Amino acid sequence: MEARAYIAAPPAWVAGLRRNDAATLRALYEKHFPAIRQYVLQNSGTGNDAQDVFQEAVTVLWMSVKEGRMVPDADPGGFLYRVAKNKWLDVVRSAAHKHMKVVHDDRTLDRGADVDDDIEERIARLRGVYEKLDDKCRSVLDRFYFERKDLATIANEMGVEEESIRTIKYRCMMKLRAFRKAISGEDQQAR
Amino acid sequence: MSNGALDRPTFEAIEAYVLERLSADERAAFERRMATDADLRAEVELERENIRAVELGGMQRTLRSIVEEEHGQRTSPNGWTGYLKYAAMLAAVVASALWLLRPTGGERLYSEYFSPDPGLPVAMGAAADPAFADAMVSYKEGEYDEALSKWAPLLQADPMNDTLRYYLACAHLAQGATSEAVPLLEGIANEERSAFHRKARWYLFLAHVRNGDASAVGKSPLDEDSVYGERARLIKAALKP
Repeated sequence: MEARAYIAAPPAWVAGLRRNDAATLRALYEKHFPAIRQYVLQNSGTGNDAQDVFQEAVTVLWMSVKEGRMVPDADPGGFLYRVAKNKWLDVVRSAAHKHMKVVHDDRTLDRGADVDDDIEERIARLRGVYEKLDDKCRSVLDRFYFERKDLATIANEMGVEEESIRTIKYRCMMKLRAFRKAISGEDQQAR
Repeated sequence: MSNGALDRPTFEAIEAYVLERLSADERAAFERRMATDADLRAEVELERENIRAVELGGMQRTLRSIVEEEHGQRTSPNGWTGYLKYAAMLAAVVASALWLLRPTGGERLYSEYFSPDPGLPVAMGAAADPAFADAMVSYKEGEYDEALSKWAPLLQADPMNDTLRYYLACAHLAQGATSEAVPLLEGIANEERSAFHRKARWYLFLAHVRNGDASAVGKSPLDEDSVYGERARLIKAALKP
């Protein structure tokens, strides 16, 4: 019999995150937020605290998938719970929250198994890059790179010519490039 | 990596490569160019990073809007530090407004001395009474109406349960509904064997203060209480004409 090579398709949630699918983010929220909220609430946190750590955990998951670091068949619920829990424990242990008590801690604390050491540093760096963009640039670049809309659709939504969108996109990306080169130059000078 | 300008055709060629929009032939040709051009390789990496930064910003905006849609309230715009900064600013504004518009007499003293009971810890997966625990989660979230509606039927089934009566009263107090809390607290304040006896006396005292019931305040036996006595004496002194 002829041998066949099978390449397993990634789970739907992995494919969804790779293409920036909002429905996938919503599904992750609906399925996995309640457990995280429960954990934060029972450990001196509030609903808003739970929302914050959940968003941080999804960001780490998203980045891990985007960079090919996530095992495709790994359970996103377990991953999200562990990351969120570690983030909340960091808050509880911080100087400003010394009075808080962890009343329940029955799952294994294993940050290293899921999250590469540098991924949070990388997220912080990329956030810093995004913050350099003004609202107009964010509006165009978000639609093109995150929502994956074509230039004609964006032009139609914003009521301008397609060529204008193309030019704005180029100029905005050149602003980011100039910013990154300035940072890179400062780093080299510092060495 | 070149420090000069990057022309638009090169930028768009790199963009098409990073976004995987090239045909197989175009991709192979582009990769051959990269193999011999270190500047191009550096530009590809830089553009890949910048696109990822935009995607990250878009993902976080989308996630934030999903969470806000579900909860109808704020979340942090820039992570913890952003939230804490805005929370501190908001707290300062609210504190200033409360000071300027502060009520007088019993209401003011109630606001000054009342802090909600923090609630009981809810152990995940180990709650002996999941319905009670579910309501406690609502209470701890500040969803007092929800907590009241969940606890009320439990009290009907077990009307002498002091834990239920106490936390129903706490939910009423947190909403400022002191009149509803008083009858619940009166019972527990007289039950010396209840674990909530002492706290119930304190909250009952505060409820009377807010309701302007001078007679009940005067009769309160809290003055000698080792925990609440000092505060009770201060409140009584403040209420004297």
